[in-house]
Amino acid sequence: MIESIDFGRCTGCGLCDLVCPADVIHMEQVRIVEEVPGLAPTKLLPAIKFREHCITCFSCEIFCPESIVDVHPVVKNRPRPW
Amino acid sequence: MTDFSGTLVETDVLVVGAGAGGLLAALSAKRHGAAGTRVTIVDTWLVGRTGHAAFSNAWTVVVEPEDNLEAITREILAGNDWVADQVLVSKVLAMSYQRLKDLEGLELEFPKDSEGRYVRRPTRGLDDTRVLCPVGGGLEFCWRLRRGLEAEGVQILDRIFVTGLMRGRGEGIVGAVGIHSRSGAFHAIKARATVVCTNAITFRSGFVRDITGTGTLLAYKAGAALRNAEFSYTRPGTPRFYFEGIAFAIQEGAHFVNAKGERFMLRHEPVWGDESDVPRIARAMAIERQLGNDPLYLDMSGVPERVRSDFIRSKVKWMEYFYRKLPAETRTDLFGKTPYYAQNQMTKMGIRTDAACRSDVPGLLAAGLAQAGAANHFAGFHIGMCIGTGWIAGCSAVEDLDRLPAPALDAAEVRALFADNDRARNDAVQAESDNVLRSLQALMFAYDISVWKHGARLEMALTRLAAIRAEFAGLAAPHTHELVRLKETEAMLLAAELILRASLYRTESRMSHFREDFDLRDDRNWLCWVDICDHQGEPRFEKTPVPVPICDPDSVAPRSVKRVIKGAA
Repeated sequence: MIESIDFGRCTGCGLCDLVCPADVIHMEQVRIVEEVPGLAPTKLLPAIKFREHCITCFSCEIFCPESIVDVHPVVKNRPRPW
Repeated sequence: MTDFSGTLVETDVLVVGAGAGGLLAALSAKRHGAAGTRVTIVDTWLVGRTGHAAFSNAWTVVVEPEDNLEAITREILAGNDWVADQVLVSKVLAMSYQRLKDLEGLELEFPKDSEGRYVRRPTRGLDDTRVLCPVGGGLEFCWRLRRGLEAEGVQILDRIFVTGLMRGRGEGIVGAVGIHSRSGAFHAIKARATVVCTNAITFRSGFVRDITGTGTLLAYKAGAALRNAEFSYTRPGTPRFYFEGIAFAIQEGAHFVNAKGERFMLRHEPVWGDESDVPRIARAMAIERQLGNDPLYLDMSGVPERVRSDFIRSKVKWMEYFYRKLPAETRTDLFGKTPYYAQNQMTKMGIRTDAACRSDVPGLLAAGLAQAGAANHFAGFHIGMCIGTGWIAGCSAVEDLDRLPAPALDAAEVRALFADNDRARNDAVQAESDNVLRSLQALMFAYDISVWKHGARLEMALTRLAAIRAEFAGLAAPHTHELVRLKETEAMLLAAELILRASLYRTESRMSHFREDFDLRDDRNWLCWVDICDHQGEPRFEKTPVPVPICDPDSVAPRSVKRVIKGAA
């Protein structure tokens, strides 16, 4: 399941969102620190919107050009009905 | 109620779903079509980076010219317990070598040895069949195909989740409607021929467990017949981590044991033991559970040190990451005793077609695992069938373009399909389809419902299913993400009903369908498919005899070769 994205190093390219086959990551405009008071700059950054639906396919981590996505391999949301 | 609006896309051939079947169907349609033929492929996610094939090794069966095609065909038909379309399976196998060459033409590389021969290997449960996989596995396979489709002028629509097929003003299918899977924007895609390639439906269980097909159920609602609902792909898996390679581990000395330490597979399957075909392992596990001999384990302590690293390595990109990041303690556990149970992976329910992949409904074709040509897909035969049926369906779709009338949309129908999606949206509610899904999983994954079936238990499951459906009926989606999941869950609920009813209907045991109360294969009465048609909102079941033009059960001697079972007394 996806654990984290290092937003500080993210360039906002959006590849993680594009390749996710479970719609977990959405690119969103995020307000960042104002350089000039009164001017509110935004940056396009990935948001982990639906972590619980991550299928641990590692696509976001594999295709991230900055290597800043971390997916944990142990599956936590697998059904165990037996 | 949102005002009706949307985007209209026009095409000649529409391919729904971009796994191996869909990608090949689109390629085939483009190559077989006359100049200017418009081919469009849609998928809920990014074409080339989704579908089950993308996350697999992409092992595929290839029959080389010097192979014994007849023997391979025969063992695959026998391995399907004879519920397979013999002509279609034979066609798929016969063309597999040419398809390999097509894929190489798209710069997909397949490993060769120093003498230039393809590096192939046997696959579990089959003697003559050989499989191979491309360098880079499924991700490379799907991406090269996407690039190939782009180069040949196929229109690719990413992120369109198809929610309905259109009947239009004629007798056949005239395309599909769907929503953009992020924005929710409504799309209608008008097409003369529509190929459904949306895989089999899953209940979000094991492999790529959130990707599920819904196209088979849309086809059913649009008038197509379904078959093979009583069969499933249920394989042993551990709830603790993902592990591919049980078959090879067993060949290296791993074996299943029960809580008493007994090698139960030797008792249930004296000929093949732990090397039995996957459904037979699932059956044995279910009976052991019933006997109270669980928990069950895969004991890998006998796997020699020298080969252990092979099991924590993979050519599949995501599995490579997976194994690399697996915690040290889990790596150690892997070569001890790990709890295992039979995990339901997917149904085998597909659309009934002829051997040209045409359904009963004009303008509607099916390929890949959305097509019901075979119900047992050995490792490699899965994608082999997808490639073959995709190719055949694409060719048939193009042939149909001249025969089918120009598609004419029915405005009332399009508006009704739009309203159906719109009704399920409500910004004020919570996303709750996962609760229904968990109830459905608990029902459908239970060992004595999905693996070791019994008439009385199936009846009880249907009663429970009705309650789950009632719970689902009032749900709505606060956003598009949930709307997609809601629609998928709705399809799973219908699939569950068809599975349970078809399982009740087939009063024998065959392939992956095991009835405790009818525990023998009955060729005299059941060399048949169970076909399901929608009749005024109710499923109607009927037997269709399986034609055996190539070989019949009596012509194939039972396996005479007794495998040497490692470590067996």
